Amino acid sequence: MPKVTIDGKIIDVPAGTLIVEAAKPVGSHIPVFCYHPKMAPAGMCRMCLVQVGMPKMDPATKQPVVDENGQPVINWMPKLQTGCTTVVSEGMVVHTTTPQVAEARRSILEFLLTSHPLDCPVCDKGGECPLQDHTLHYGPGNTRFYVESKFHNDKAVPLSPLIMLDRERCIQCGRCVRFQDEIAGEPSLGLADRGRGLEVTTFDDPPFNSNFSGNTIDICPVGALTSRDFRFTARVFELNDYPSVCQQCAVGCNVYLGTRDNLIRRVTPRQNEAVNEVWLCDKGRLEHHYAHSPERVTTPMIRAESDLTPVSWYEALNFVANRIRPTLGESGKSMAGLAGDRLANEDLYLFQKLFREILGSNNLDHRFGWSQWNAGDALVKNFGAGVGTNLGELGKGVTALLLGADPQTEQPVLRLRLSKITRQGATLVVANGRATKLAQYASHKTIYRYGAEAYFVLGLVRAMIDAGLHKSDKANGATEYSAALNLTVAECAAKAEVSADTLKTIGETFAASENGIILFGREFMYAMQRDPAVEAALNALLILSGHFGRKNNGVIALYPRSNSMGALDMGMTPTDGGMPASEMLTKAKLLYVMGADPARENPAFKNPGFMIVQDLFMTATAQKADVVFPASAWAERDGTFTNTERRVQYFARALEPLGQARPDWAIIQELAQQLGAKWTYASAGDVMNEIAQRIPTYAKMTHARLQVNARRRASVQTVGGDAAEPVQMALGELIGVVSGAQWATFSETNADAKFDVKFVQPADSAQATAGVYLAVTRALLDCGALAQYSEIIQTRVPDASVEINSHDAEAWEIANGARVRITFESKPPRALELPARVDGSVPPGVVAVANNLDGTMNLPMGAQVQVTQVQVSQAIAD
Amino acid sequence: MIWEPIILRNKNIPEIADIDVYERNGGFTALKKALKEMTPEQVTDAVKASGLKGRGGAGFPTGLKWSFLPKGVFPRYLAVNADESEPGTFKDREIMEKNPHQFIEGVILSAYAIQCAHAFIYIRGEYPGAANILEQAIAAAKQRGYLGAQILGSAYDLEITVHRGAGAYICGEETAMLESLEGKLGMPRVKPPFPAVVGLYGKPTVINNVETLTNVPPIIDKGADWYKTIGTEKSSGPKVFCVSGHVNRPGNYEAPLGSITLRDLIFGAEYAQGVRGEKNVKGILTAGASAPMLTAQHLDTKLDYEAVAAAGSILGSASIIVLDEDTDIPWATQKMSRFFMHESCGKCTPCREGTYWMFVLMERINTGKGTARDMEMLPIVANQILGRTLCPLGEFATSPVLGTLKWFKHEYEAKVSADGNRETEK
Ligand SMILES: Cc1cc2nc3c(=O)[nH]c(=O)nc-3n(C[C@H](O)[C@H](O)[C@H](O)COP(=O)(O)O)c2cc1C
Ligand code: SF4
Ligand code: SF4
Ligand code: SF4
Ligand code: FES
Repeated sequence: MPKVTIDGKIIDVPAGTLIVEAAKPVGSHIPVFCYHPKMAPAGMCRMCLVQVGMPKMDPATKQPVVDENGQPVINWMPKLQTGCTTVVSEGMVVHTTTPQVAEARRSILEFLLTSHPLDCPVCDKGGECPLQDHTLHYGPGNTRFYVESKFHNDKAVPLSPLIMLDRERCIQCGRCVRFQDEIAGEPSLGLADRGRGLEVTTFDDPPFNSNFSGNTIDICPVGALTSRDFRFTARVFELNDYPSVCQQCAVGCNVYLGTRDNLIRRVTPRQNEAVNEVWLCDKGRLEHHYAHSPERVTTPMIRAESDLTPVSWYEALNFVANRIRPTLGESGKSMAGLAGDRLANEDLYLFQKLFREILGSNNLDHRFGWSQWNAGDALVKNFGAGVGTNLGELGKGVTALLLGADPQTEQPVLRLRLSKITRQGATLVVANGRATKLAQYASHKTIYRYGAEAYFVLGLVRAMIDAGLHKSDKANGATEYSAALNLTVAECAAKAEVSADTLKTIGETFAASENGIILFGREFMYAMQRDPAVEAALNALLILSGHFGRKNNGVIALYPRSNSMGALDMGMTPTDGGMPASEMLTKAKLLYVMGADPARENPAFKNPGFMIVQDLFMTATAQKADVVFPASAWAERDGTFTNTERRVQYFARALEPLGQARPDWAIIQELAQQLGAKWTYASAGDVMNEIAQRIPTYAKMTHARLQVNARRRASVQTVGGDAAEPVQMALGELIGVVSGAQWATFSETNADAKFDVKFVQPADSAQATAGVYLAVTRALLDCGALAQYSEIIQTRVPDASVEINSHDAEAWEIANGARVRITFESKPPRALELPARVDGSVPPGVVAVANNLDGTMNLPMGAQVQVTQVQVSQAIAD
Repeated sequence: MIWEPIILRNKNIPEIADIDVYERNGGFTALKKALKEMTPEQVTDAVKASGLKGRGGAGFPTGLKWSFLPKGVFPRYLAVNADESEPGTFKDREIMEKNPHQFIEGVILSAYAIQCAHAFIYIRGEYPGAANILEQAIAAAKQRGYLGAQILGSAYDLEITVHRGAGAYICGEETAMLESLEGKLGMPRVKPPFPAVVGLYGKPTVINNVETLTNVPPIIDKGADWYKTIGTEKSSGPKVFCVSGHVNRPGNYEAPLGSITLRDLIFGAEYAQGVRGEKNVKGILTAGASAPMLTAQHLDTKLDYEAVAAAGSILGSASIIVLDEDTDIPWATQKMSRFFMHESCGKCTPCREGTYWMFVLMERINTGKGTARDMEMLPIVANQILGRTLCPLGEFATSPVLGTLKWFKHEYEAKVSADGNRETEK
């Protein structure tokens, strides 16, 4: 580790460290504009100039020359050096406060300001602007650019429905362009022209169409890129930034909810190096609008006569209690509870407690609709990736195997994090039945045949055993297993339609790797449900590879929703003979639906007799209810979610509840009290304390502990003072902030445990044999339950289409864009008419449709379909 | 003594652009010798020993540059800099148009030395004629087995691609040239890494000027020892001087480095033959717009890298622009300021903003709007740029201003007034 001296302080830093980074721990502030720690240095703005010297070496002895005081003689470099591009080396001496450095900073700022409009009073960035901050600290007090020809340029260029560009304010730092290129992998911005005319532009059509575009607003060091969602709605110093967690997917990105006058004005990322680093996807940034929708239910309602009529809480709760009380104790069996997995742990915990302890029913589920595909619970419980695993940090010695997943649209920020790990030296393997965005970053990528997932994994296991790389010390029945596994790698490869070499390489690489992680997504979970051999094979791969029970080893289930993991942990599953969701709808007599809308996806859904719906909106299900309880939006109360990496994260309350809406956990408690329970939770924190006591994996997970680093944001800059957190974050000055806590899996807490490996023969019937396989995909921005309330999201929702392989399209005589009909072999039979997209992301024999767009809701995943061209009658009409 | 050109051989053999004529006059003997008798290292060593320095401006020792390529990393590339965009520079054009085969032979020899299988010639878009001639020369060389697969029966393969630029001075800067070759916006890269390690398409790359490589065939043919006898101890070999401006006979003149003075070049009968209208010399630019201006008092400066540096300027690409006694120096400087403002790529702040600011000040002074304050600001702005830019262009941009202020301050003073309201003369 090179030893460097920065402003007189000596520090050891790893080889390869840049001066700007080395200066952070010693507390020397080197101002930057173009440099961002997550991106490669560009050396553009020249703001970070510092004085650098190297010890003079005696060529004979190769030792530093010392002066009469025994101090090394320093050769100062004749020019100042950019701290953001200069790598430290042994003995280097850096000065950041000399008059020359101060003069250089002053000059650069003076230059920048010669073409800056200085419209801070009407600029969204004003108050959290690095240019303002640096100017205050290091800039000239006034300008010597007295000439009249100040730079003028376009003030409001709509780059996209989300982003407005002010060309005058742009300081040409290139961060936005480089973000899209290096981090998002969607190079939709570019610089054009040159000199003072250098400008940011987009080449896309539709313009700047990226799932991650909003991040460029945050990292733009000036107010050149502004959010059209937030523009002019508040000054940033009027906002209260509350720490929260995005509720839109299982990544659980940390956010700030910036509120003013009890409205969320904007959502910005909150740094958590173990979750989202400093990024968000556009969905997470925009989807908060639903919280303020005028369509929110704000009073309790009961069905009087035929209509739902507003009543008081007292009446509504009484109404329900009276209906339930007579059946209490006698038969809870006819009562069922269905809860959405977007709800907080505290809500889900009390919900199941109400059922199990008060109503005496195990009829509990959260798996319906989108979440019905959740699977692999046992794998997660036993072998979830070890505590301390940080997917964004994976590097040398780690092999990550991504199976049947498409994080680009389903866990977007996770995709960003996995994209970079090969650059850090990790081996990334991407396998799915179709091509996905992440595959372009993979060290090994392969497309297997949908339906042959079990063979694919068994091939990896076989390859591992053949190479003698398997470990049996924690396995029961390893020998029997390898004898029972009566398939060769070549046979598995033939079934999965991949090459035997691919299976061999992946299997051996994974097994031989020091650390191994398996991430499996929705498409793989679907396969697990269809054929138990898939989960058994994964189980064997994990146990025999020994990749579990410690950091950077184990599985991660890429569940669909923000708290799918928590729903499992809280026990929202039909244990001990309880009914699953699929039966509730026909067998239950009383149904309590919380934060879920089964009727939206299933038009045949009926009120089973008596139905309580607790929600934010008059959903399709609520419209059929007997009682509606208005629930608070997540921003109106606090709680915790558990993300896909089993990280439990705290979100604070940012808003006053709307109307009479109450937090879900509070409503459940009131009902329980009506039914005689002696519950006395004063807050969600109280509920969490009980969870921490009663659920072993959640031991010590109190709100207080989870709140560490999840605080309200320090206010904006103070004149001449230290930069505020938003500026520090925009500049990438915060280092290594992490919050939340991961729960430990069984294999971690029971180091000596052994696990059974059993061979399960793949069910050949499960493999698609003839016909075309329907792969269900997801669009990130959709017209889903919550997204519909964001106008900007709605402008960016793609049109539904069916992806067809070009060879199939040729065989079926279907041209790109032609309208085709897909007919499902399902019960009841269904058909869809959609334009064809012939773009090669699906292999022959597979067609793909996103099931969250207009007209494509609730497709039967994995169905066999028929595709036919639809006669276009329009031509005749014209 | 009249020097018999070894670079501009067309001066003596006008038909040398014909490949037969070139062959009859010793063409490709160096290549044959190298491929048959020399290893790539020996070719590099010969060039090292010759003392040849880059003719593109920076004067970096060529053989040394070649030896920086990391061992065992392939593919590697040779990118030839034919962007020739410095004002007053037109030597590469004459070489490519009139003596193309020697240049191409030089490219092949150099590519062989660095073991590159694909060389690129990045030629400025304003040279369509030269680009066509090069493509024909490449085709002819290929036809005769000097290029393509298994050159002259050896195991060595080489392709050469001619790439036309799109009119940006900055694309002559070597890393911007690589960006442009890759199809990106022509902007310099941060160094390190140097192109020798991470160059074109991320691979080790050597970049050399056209004239530099045209020196290689004679070095290989006649040997480094012979070559070292030409020129001075530190600046060996011949150099092509581009003379333009107020002279009677502008053009390219070849002479050994250090063998003649500025006076010889401007007034000599075999060179530019004096200033038009028998006028006196007022200013001399030695490296186009990029170097500080010299004056009549420097006429006896010898033309080699060291002597010109000692006089306070740089020899660079040796583009000598002569300005006579009637030249309005601030006016001429404004032209150069405009050039740099226009050519700044905009990647780094001081150059992007500073070149504009300097130009605005120059314009005020030249249009009678200038004040003493503007004159004060000029060197301030220039010095705020100096030493802080990403590439040398920003530094070049300060040369005309600082150079002319040093010698011709009175001309500026005569143009400014207390209130910025001086009648303009023109
Ligand atoms: C702004 C700028 C413009 C340049 N233009 C040219 C050019 O037009 N031709 C050239 O050969 N070198 C040019 N150079 C120098 C090249 O960067 C590089 O040093 C040279 O091509 C190396 O070749 P050499 O070693 O054979 O001289 C320029 C450099 C700068 C900074
Ligand atoms: S828009 Fe912002 S981030 Fe992009 S180049 Fe301009 S200043 Fe930088
Ligand atoms: S990736 Fe998921 S958690 Fe993160 S911002 Fe997007 S939707 Fe929210
Ligand atoms: S000095 Fe000028 S030309 Fe060079 S990188 Fe900077 S802006 Fe571009
Ligand atoms: S050049 Fe270093 S931060 Fe911009």
